[in-house]
Amino acid sequence: MEFPAALFPSYFGAGPPQEEGGPAPLAGWGEHGQVLEGGPGRRQVQPAFVPRRGATGERWEAADAAAVPVLLPRAGCWIPSPAPQDILYRSGLCKKLRAGKSRAILDFTRQLGHFFVDHPEDAFGSLGRLLHKNFYLGNSKLQRPARSSTIRMTALVEDIDRLEARRGCPRQHLASRLRWFSHLCRDWLFEVPLGLLADCLHEELMQQWSNLLFDDSLTGGALAWLPPEDRGTPVGCLVHPGGQAMNHLYFQDVVLEELPRTRGAPAQFELSGRIQQVAAARVDGQDFVGVRSDYHCGVWRLLGKRGAVPTPLQVIHTDVPASCLTVSPHLPGELSVCTQSGTVYLWSVETGLQQLRHDPQTMFFRDHSPWRWSDFTAHPRVLSCADRTGLQCLDARAPKRCHFDLFKVGEEAGCQQGERVVLPMYLGRAHPSQYLVTTQFSVYVLDERLPLVPVLKWAHMMKAPPLFAHLMPGKPGRSHKVLLGASRTQELLLLQYRDSFWGVSSGGSQSACQLAGTPQKLHSIAGCLQHLPTQLPHRHHLLQQRLTAPAAGLAATLQEDGPHKSMLIFQLSEAGDVFCQRLTHNAAQPPAPPSRDEATTAPGSSPLFEYRRWLRALSRACKEPPGHTWSPSLSQRRLFTRKDLEGPVGPSSLQRQMRQRLRQTMKEGGLIQHWAPLALQPPPLPQALEPAGGLDPLSARLTAAWAGDWEQWWEERTSFSVAKRQQALRERRRRQKRAQGRRSLSASFTSSLTYQSELSELSDTGPSVLSPGRPPLLSQEASPPAGSPLVHSPATSAAPDEALLSSQSLRCRGIPKERRKTLRDYLSVWAEGPPEPPEPLGSQASQLCIPSSQSQLSSASQPRRKRPRMGF
Amino acid sequence: MDSFLEEEDEEAPTVVVAGKRRRRSSPAAQALQPPLHLPFLPLQPVSSNEHKLNFRKSKEACLSFIQDALLQKEWKRAAEFLTCYIESLEKDYSREHIGPSEMIWRTGAEILWHHSQSSMKEFNCFMEQMKTLGVKRYLKVCLEHVFHLLCNGQIDEAYQNLSLAESWRFGEQTAIQDKEMKLIQAYRGLLDYYSWSKQKNILLENSEDGFSDSAVEQEMHGYFRKAAVNLKEIIKIPGVWDIFVKCYVDLLEFYGDHNEARQVLNEYAYNSKFPANPNAHVYLYQFLKRQREPKKSLISALKILHDIVPSHELMIDFNTMLQKSKKRKKRRLGLEVIFAALDYAGWKENAKAWSCLSRQVKQIVISEKHLDWIKQEWNSRKDWWPAFHFSRYLAKRNWQENKSLSYEKALVAGILLGKGCKYFKYVSHQGCKAQLKRFRMLKKFVNRHNPVYLRISGPPDSSVQP
Repeated sequence: MEFPAALFPSYFGAGPPQEEGGPAPLAGWGEHGQVLEGGPGRRQVQPAFVPRRGATGERWEAADAAAVPVLLPRAGCWIPSPAPQDILYRSGLCKKLRAGKSRAILDFTRQLGHFFVDHPEDAFGSLGRLLHKNFYLGNSKLQRPARSSTIRMTALVEDIDRLEARRGCPRQHLASRLRWFSHLCRDWLFEVPLGLLADCLHEELMQQWSNLLFDDSLTGGALAWLPPEDRGTPVGCLVHPGGQAMNHLYFQDVVLEELPRTRGAPAQFELSGRIQQVAAARVDGQDFVGVRSDYHCGVWRLLGKRGAVPTPLQVIHTDVPASCLTVSPHLPGELSVCTQSGTVYLWSVETGLQQLRHDPQTMFFRDHSPWRWSDFTAHPRVLSCADRTGLQCLDARAPKRCHFDLFKVGEEAGCQQGERVVLPMYLGRAHPSQYLVTTQFSVYVLDERLPLVPVLKWAHMMKAPPLFAHLMPGKPGRSHKVLLGASRTQELLLLQYRDSFWGVSSGGSQSACQLAGTPQKLHSIAGCLQHLPTQLPHRHHLLQQRLTAPAAGLAATLQEDGPHKSMLIFQLSEAGDVFCQRLTHNAAQPPAPPSRDEATTAPGSSPLFEYRRWLRALSRACKEPPGHTWSPSLSQRRLFTRKDLEGPVGPSSLQRQMRQRLRQTMKEGGLIQHWAPLALQPPPLPQALEPAGGLDPLSARLTAAWAGDWEQWWEERTSFSVAKRQQALRERRRRQKRAQGRRSLSASFTSSLTYQSELSELSDTGPSVLSPGRPPLLSQEASPPAGSPLVHSPATSAAPDEALLSSQSLRCRGIPKERRKTLRDYLSVWAEGPPEPPEPLGSQASQLCIPSSQSQLSSASQPRRKRPRMGF
Repeated sequence: MDSFLEEEDEEAPTVVVAGKRRRRSSPAAQALQPPLHLPFLPLQPVSSNEHKLNFRKSKEACLSFIQDALLQKEWKRAAEFLTCYIESLEKDYSREHIGPSEMIWRTGAEILWHHSQSSMKEFNCFMEQMKTLGVKRYLKVCLEHVFHLLCNGQIDEAYQNLSLAESWRFGEQTAIQDKEMKLIQAYRGLLDYYSWSKQKNILLENSEDGFSDSAVEQEMHGYFRKAAVNLKEIIKIPGVWDIFVKCYVDLLEFYGDHNEARQVLNEYAYNSKFPANPNAHVYLYQFLKRQREPKKSLISALKILHDIVPSHELMIDFNTMLQKSKKRKKRRLGLEVIFAALDYAGWKENAKAWSCLSRQVKQIVISEKHLDWIKQEWNSRKDWWPAFHFSRYLAKRNWQENKSLSYEKALVAGILLGKGCKYFKYVSHQGCKAQLKRFRMLKKFVNRHNPVYLRISGPPDSSVQP
């Protein structure tokens, strides 16, 4: 490819950007940028000029009013990622505090409370077990001998409830009793020291929040389209992730017709992590597909013929999350991998990994983001490396010596202050030496033969940074199309550019790169909501939640069928949905632009049919898993009055008998297999009013419980099918893994306490499972499962155990885990008290919390060779 | 980014933690910000009772409607919203990066470019108003106006506008907008150059016919002076000024000021403050060629171009030039140049380049001298050229698409990889099958020189000098 004989004029400066950054909603319009002599005809009287921006482009028009689903939803409901309202503080008080200033406040106490409730064993396991007999939750006065060693908690719980009612003002009129109690036991009650726990939680919350604002792990997108062979049938292959944890990789054959249609069942692979990126390239007629998850990257190969089974070639494991995986368009089986530690590898399936660079610091100035990217260039041995500050190209044969700067966030490219690289992409299929760089403000086209000076720059005005880009090269003389996609807002933008035009000044040879036509906004997935059949409000809400899920990938293809040219654009959402839209090329200038009404006409009949089919499949898919619907939690206080909760005055003979037996067994070191619960006679219950038919699991359970044969219901459920239980277990594991992959709140805590979670997993009585009062299985070796009530009574204690007694009596009334619930209520509110211990008491805690923050501090304060961010 | 946050609290999201009163140190606070400063970050869910639309909010809404219409190419709708938006000028207290007046200019210009019922006259009128709307970007708007006129072929109007803009003075604003001013002057110089060139052509035509017109000549010299002054100014500033440099050098050459021209081109090519623009070296090379400079200086000019852009299309000329040289060192460089060019994806199917390489390789093989040159070049490529250039898939495709390319490549492949190489085998087989004499000769040649392959790909022996 020839170098343009004349480039558009531009200034060239060095140093930090001078233009002040700021939201510039319409910055991309109304500018030609520069002009250059060009245009057809050499022997003209007057010179003809062409603009850098504003030349006419091709007309592409949407064929339908909205995007259409391509794949039917698979079984298993999508678990939405946390939304701002999940981790932000919302209350009237907080609004006053903000006083007009838009400051987000993290709801730290609520999250800490959630942790105590969701992981009570991890939070208070040992002391809870030790102390539970010293906490009395009944209403009656304590007897003399017990009074010395037991605290009556009822009043405390009432205080907590009162606090609960005044939520939004956790500090006002804080009951002195609560304050006293929290001061008393803050230092010893917790399994994990409170300071440390709070630091971890705080760090995690901030991480979650910054991910909500901008999640760069999705950079590159997890959707790839493998186009049909040149002369083959129009069957391409869509490579996309799926499954609840997005850890299944699907290779789905798709027939390109008016609307794309799937053909046959997809080839499916289960991976051990959430798929963040799918990259593909075709070399020598074979497709290579690279898949990135946080700690694993894999590569698959597909032979050119559709229907061939994809072959997994190799998998690598990284210690630090990988942030980039790109596939070489030049050599088969070559990829480049970057990790967040700042390492760049050239990965060859044949020869393995070659480390090209390791630098935890950013290249041109200091930036705290660990994100790194790498891609290929026109030279198969030269790779580009990018971080937020710019791009460098390095030669894999001598990476230390041979490198040059391709792009710098600075005055060289006319950047704004605060501008950062979001996604670089090699445009090799359109022009071997051109490169696309997107930032949150602008999109640049660079030519590696003229580094640092963008040959094209345009402010894209997208509301969220473009994390995905897709290139559709045009034939010689026609424009190339670039699609930009944002994640959170699902924006899709179509740009056209020409890498050359016929220039006069250059004596008829190639001339500079120019932007063609105006940018065009395409339909987003969420846009089809208004065209769907009317839904019941709650289903509409669920649907809305699903359709507005952040986009996770982008792919497109150009189709030429004689004179008819069309473009198919696929968009993947985080929920695993793939939607598609079709644009048709309008060769002739239309007599009149379409009016607004025409543009928003309802979709045609076939999209409507697709919508209905998709909705049906969705409702089927989401109804299915009964295993882990959210357990509805109701305050027992609303259900039962205090009188109801009052147990019998003394232990019944049956209880005494049971306790006797327990002690006996413990002495013998034996095992109790059956408690013979039949001996317990529950009080007579009213008859079920409604016939139990076609109930959802919760209603079925409640009905069964009401009718008194809850135990049997549980037995039925558990022994229903071993396979099903295993399935549920696997699902849970997957979810947990996914949660770990996302570094969720729980993940940071369970790491040190793995054995507990393992245990709870084995017994399948984790807090999220609907088995609150499952008959516990006691054995000497195993500690009680996390979710079961503590049946623990030392033989030496002669006094009747009031707490145990009340618990048992409650349990036999069908109110399981009473104490746990109370403890939860109490503790979740307690966490809202001042979490900062008073100075003398807190010395230990503050020492403990040093490591996490200290390490951050030290890394920041150590001498660095990079220029500070000042001015960038 | 830190400083930015402090300045503009309203735009940038910050987070404080409820219930945690301790001030956190700055690295921790950094994690609360997104890794990027995001342009249009919705800060948080605005509670639903904030329905009260104030002026600012309705302005923003209007703006988003305009944006929406523009992105969907609904120019009429955008124009309607824009007429509403003009009201926002009344209370323009914004300290935003781009104020309402600039937005009106940008969107208005865009709409008028595309609106089916707009005319040039309306556009001119609109732009004149926009110029008066903001002195801070007066010259920028002028420049954009001129660009639009130029692109629509209204050169004279553009020239008038440029002259007017050049004389604009507005206190310190003139100095602040110096960059735009310099560009305006340069474009005026460019237009003067075109006028000069027109007069020159008239004069040349006339002189062919035997006339001489002193008035035309005078006018031409006038244009020269005006153009030269302005063009000379802009090319002193670091930047990409390809057309300005070309025109200025053309002027100088016409008047025989070769020294100045050479100096200008040298400065443009070698001043380190300028970007590494390959065209600067190309212009210098072309100038030297026009000046019939000795080969040596041409080669040194191209050597520098080779160092900065090994994939430049002039590398073929460079290679031919070097191959013809009698000096060993130069021929050696020629081989390096062509090998380096063929490393790039853009040259993969360049038949000319492959024929250059095959010619030189053939020469070396026949003479059996300097096989170590090939060996050295091949050493850094042998692990990836076979897959990059000589795969069976490419053999098939090249054979189908371009027989002479596949011939040249097969020759190189046969020598570098031996007669067993897939590419060579496929192409020679197909060629023999098609009864092409050329390919039969090729097969013979490669078979005869097969031992060369062993020497090239073998371990480094003592006879080969590094």
